[in-house]
Parts: sequence; structure tokens; C-alpha cells
Amino acid sequence: MSVVLNRRPFDPGKAAYLGLNLLLLVFLLAPIAIIFVFALNPTPYISFPPVGITLHWFDKFFETGDFMRSLWLSLWIAACVLVLSIVIGGACALALARGDLPGRTFLTAFFMSPLMLPAILTGLALFQGYLLAGIGRPIWGLIMAHTLIAVPYVLRTTLAVLYNFDRRIEEAASVLGASPSRVFFEVTLPLIQPGVFAGGVFAFIVSFDQFPVSLFLVVPKGETLPVVLFNYMKFDLDGAIAAASMVSILLALAVVLTLERLIGLKAYVKL
Amino acid sequence: MSPRHPVSRRAVLRSGTGLAAFATLGAPAILHAQTKTLKITTWGGKWGDIMKATVLPAFEKEHGCTVSADQAFPYVPKLQVSPKNDPLYDVLHTNSNEQWLAVVDGLVMDKITAKEVPNVADVYPYAVSDKIVGVSIFTSAIGLGYRTDKGITPPKSWKDLADPKLAGARGGYLIPVNSLGQCHLMMLGKVYGKGLQDLDAAYKALEQLKPIKLVDFTGQMEKMLLSGEVTEGVIHDSGVYRYDGQNQPVDFASPAEGVMALEQVLNVTPGSKVKELAFAYIDYMLRPDVQKLLAEGVWYSPANKKVKLEAKYDAKLLTTPEKVATLIQPDWKWYNARKDDIDARVTKILKG
Repeated sequence: MSVVLNRRPFDPGKAAYLGLNLLLLVFLLAPIAIIFVFALNPTPYISFPPVGITLHWFDKFFETGDFMRSLWLSLWIAACVLVLSIVIGGACALALARGDLPGRTFLTAFFMSPLMLPAILTGLALFQGYLLAGIGRPIWGLIMAHTLIAVPYVLRTTLAVLYNFDRRIEEAASVLGASPSRVFFEVTLPLIQPGVFAGGVFAFIVSFDQFPVSLFLVVPKGETLPVVLFNYMKFDLDGAIAAASMVSILLALAVVLTLERLIGLKAYVKL
Repeated sequence: MSPRHPVSRRAVLRSGTGLAAFATLGAPAILHAQTKTLKITTWGGKWGDIMKATVLPAFEKEHGCTVSADQAFPYVPKLQVSPKNDPLYDVLHTNSNEQWLAVVDGLVMDKITAKEVPNVADVYPYAVSDKIVGVSIFTSAIGLGYRTDKGITPPKSWKDLADPKLAGARGGYLIPVNSLGQCHLMMLGKVYGKGLQDLDAAYKALEQLKPIKLVDFTGQMEKMLLSGEVTEGVIHDSGVYRYDGQNQPVDFASPAEGVMALEQVLNVTPGSKVKELAFAYIDYMLRPDVQKLLAEGVWYSPANKKVKLEAKYDAKLLTTPEKVATLIQPDWKWYNARKDDIDARVTKILKG
């Protein structure tokens, strides 16, 4: 009995496409792999191949007061920024998409402008502004600075949803007797939620990893994790840095996965 | 209400409770207002650990103050931005090159004398020389670090770094951002030309050092030496001696032409609201017991002549007038005035 093989003919275009994607994936993930190897290698410097496996650097990271304090501070600030940027960015997006405001294009560009300026300049300008205003460098000042940088992410993703929004659904709810607030909370908000939360994820990560803006705005004993890591690296470049990076990556991943469980990533991956 | 008791017991109790609550809540604020705060900059790493664990708490106890120690760079730009009459720091701790940048803008004092800081009377001359603004409390010697297991002869001259056998295995710094790299460049001018300021000779010599591995920070150079990625490189003695007793195949060599000084300088900001406390802090940092603690903790050579170190530290650090005489102090005022041109030139030489 002969077997007919149903083989697909070799497609060089598809192979090149897959190869390119694989290369991009390696390019993106290779630094993480190097950090992972460095974090588990017992030597106090980057060496390849690794000479063994140890959790010593993770122990050092979790046992160092400065690292822990800055980690919790960074998480706390990122959580505040997430909430603030969702509220501010979401409200701005609604106003820009629905408000029929004069100079809407200009306003959109204005709200997006923090992304266009070098963050180090934003940090320096805010630092000078705070000092001139005589308010020093309070923690809420740092939160506001991070929010300034994070809002454009929420704005962009929410606007993307709003521009593709079928307003007839809202009209149907109104015709059926729903009040404007009920329409907003029960129709509009659930529909734009994926865009708002997608921006929120970006806002959280942008704040948690924020270095240039924080550099000028942190105070003694109130440094965020990226600033502490930078200063640590100047004097002690050992595996604790890699362990800290791994913890940061895992925390960011945990936030994304948690949001995926809560609202579903699939809903907004197409944004 | 009885005429004999115009104020009822309940009212008295209520008022008393209110006063007690006010006193309890207000006390920390009043106490805080009375406690002076000294704002300083300081290093991180082992130095920072010792400062936070021992040195600063003892100073706070002695002077009934609190010390706010900033470890987040960059210090001078932050100071430049803050108002001069209410500066962000009272005491600026940096290397000498940055103090010279700050003094040009009037951000720190020109000189600190024994009149303000009595312990200045006991420092080696280099600590208050005309190459220093403020006062140097410690110094390191910039020389050559090398691997002892790679079969190379311990370096005796700065010229040994140009040995063709070290091609690709010698280490230096990104000169625009690292003062050790800047010192090395000036030393090349001295060794290959007419002196520290002979930039043409220095550029030519720098060209001959290619291929060379460049790093941003001294911490990275230490790790490159430890990992064997670099066989010989420019580094300060503290960056090698700190691995003493850890069985690492690295050592430090002081070249015959001399070692460059990497001074730890303290200075006071003219607009400080707690200037007396700032001077007291510098005096405290120059005290022999504090100098000994930090010198032995991080392998820095103390500036105070009266400090007696343990034998193993005394043998390696610059603790006698003869050893201190080998230090070469660069003219940072001269260097900073030309920094932009130098940066452009060395970047062109070393790019790629």
C-alpha cells in the first residue's frame, strides 16, 4: 500500500519571514538571558560559561535594606502612577475624542509632548521648578513627574479604542432609557476598558523602570530602585545587580499576567 | 453651673485632653524644628555602608543633628540648579575635578583653613595645595592594576601599558566621563611629552594604546581585571587592594613616573544655613579615629598625618611624607577649561 505524503512545498518567503522573526526574538530576549546567567553565576563578575549555580545574589538583593526599601517605594509609586494616569489619561482621551474641543489636534500633541522631550530634561526642569516653588522634592512630586510621562501612554491607547468605537451602542442604551451616567458606566467604560488598562500596564512599567526623571527628584533614603541600582553599579558591579534586574522583570511580568487574568490581554493585543 | 465651680470638671478634662493631644502631635514637629539638618553628598558601596552604619550616626549623636546624605548622582548639576542662598547641599563630597567645576560657578568655597576646621592643621600639604578647592580628606593613587597569573612582568612604567602583548587586554576609561581616564590622558602627556599639559603628545600616545577596552566606572574596571578580561589597566590602588586576602590574582603597581592623585574632597557651600555644622562635619571627617576607620574600611590613604594604620594598610597606603611625595596632582582648572575640545578629540581617537 502506498502512502501519499501530503507535504507542503517549501516556501522561501515564509521561511525568511519566520527566520527574521526568530532573529528579532533572540535580539529582544538575549539581554534577559545574559542577566539570568549573571544572576545565577557565583562569580562576582560577568563570565561565560558560568562556573556554577547559586542563589547568593538573590539573597544579597533581598537582604540589602537599600534594595528592599527602594523596591517597595518603586512599586508603591508605580501603583499610584497607574491609578492617576488611568484617571487623567482616560478623562483626557474622552474629552479629546468626544468633547468637540477647539484646537483638538494641538491639545492631543500637547498631552503627548512628554514623550517627545528627553526625559532627563523633563526631570531637570521639574527639579528646578519644584525648588523655585519652594516645595523641595516631596514624594508626591516624584509621583506627579512619573504620571506626566505615563499619561501619554494611556491617552494613546484609549484614543485608539475611542476612534474605533461604535457610538450607536450608546445611542441604543439612551433610547432604551438609560441615564447619561448609566450609559457611561455600563456601556462606554466597559468598551474602552481594554484601551485604558493597556495604557495602565505601560504606565506602571514606565514608572517602575523610570530612571532619568527620578534621578533629579529622589531624596536621600527615598531613592527608587533604578536610581539605587545605578549608584550601586558605580561601586559594586556584582551579581546583585542582575538579581535585582531579574526581580524587576518578574514583577513587571506578574503585573501584566495579573491584568490579563482580570481583564484579558487578548482584548487589547490588537490595539 | 455652680458659682463655686465656674469651670466644670468635664470642661477641664476636655481641655486637658486637648492640650495633651496637641502636645503629643506637636512635639515631633517642635523637636524637628530644633534639630538642625546637615545636607551632604557621599559615595555608595562599602564607603556608604560604613558612613551609614557608624560614621554618620556618631556625628549626629555628637552634634545633636540629623544628616541627610545624598548618594544619588549627579551632585554638581543638582547644586547648580538649586538656589545659591538655599543650596541643596551644605557639604559637597566629590573628586577634585568636580569641585573645580563647582568653584567656578561660585557653588563652593575656594579654601578651607584651620581657622574654620582645626584638623586642617594636621593634613599633608597635598590636601590643601593650590590644586585643591576645599580640603582633601583622603586620596587614592591612580596607577596600573594587573593580573598576576597571565605571565606578564609587573608594570614599572606607564609606558608598559603600551606593550603590544597587551593588545585588546589593556583597560582604560571613557575619558569624557571618568576622571581616572582624564588623569591617564594627562599622565600620557607627561610620560611621552613635555608634561601633564602636553596634549599633542598625549593624543599620539593614546592612539598607540588601541585596541583598548574602555569602561565608564572604576567598579567595572575592577570586575574586568577580576574576570581576566583585562590583563593590565588604569585603576586606583583602593580598587585593587580591597580584594586583599580574597585570593584574587590581581595586584597594583605604582609606575616610576609617579601616581596621579584621586582626592576625596569636602567643601562647604557658601549659602549653607548651617555653615558651622558643615565645618564641624569636615573637622570630624579629618579626625584620626574617623580617618582610620574609613581608610581601613575602603583602602583610602588618609590625609591626616597623625593617623596610625594597622601594619598591612600602612605598608600599602600613602602614609608617610615620602610616599605622599609620589602623588601628582593634576591642574583641574586647566583641564576643565579645555574639556570640550579634549572630549571631542579623544572620542575621535578611540571611537570604534
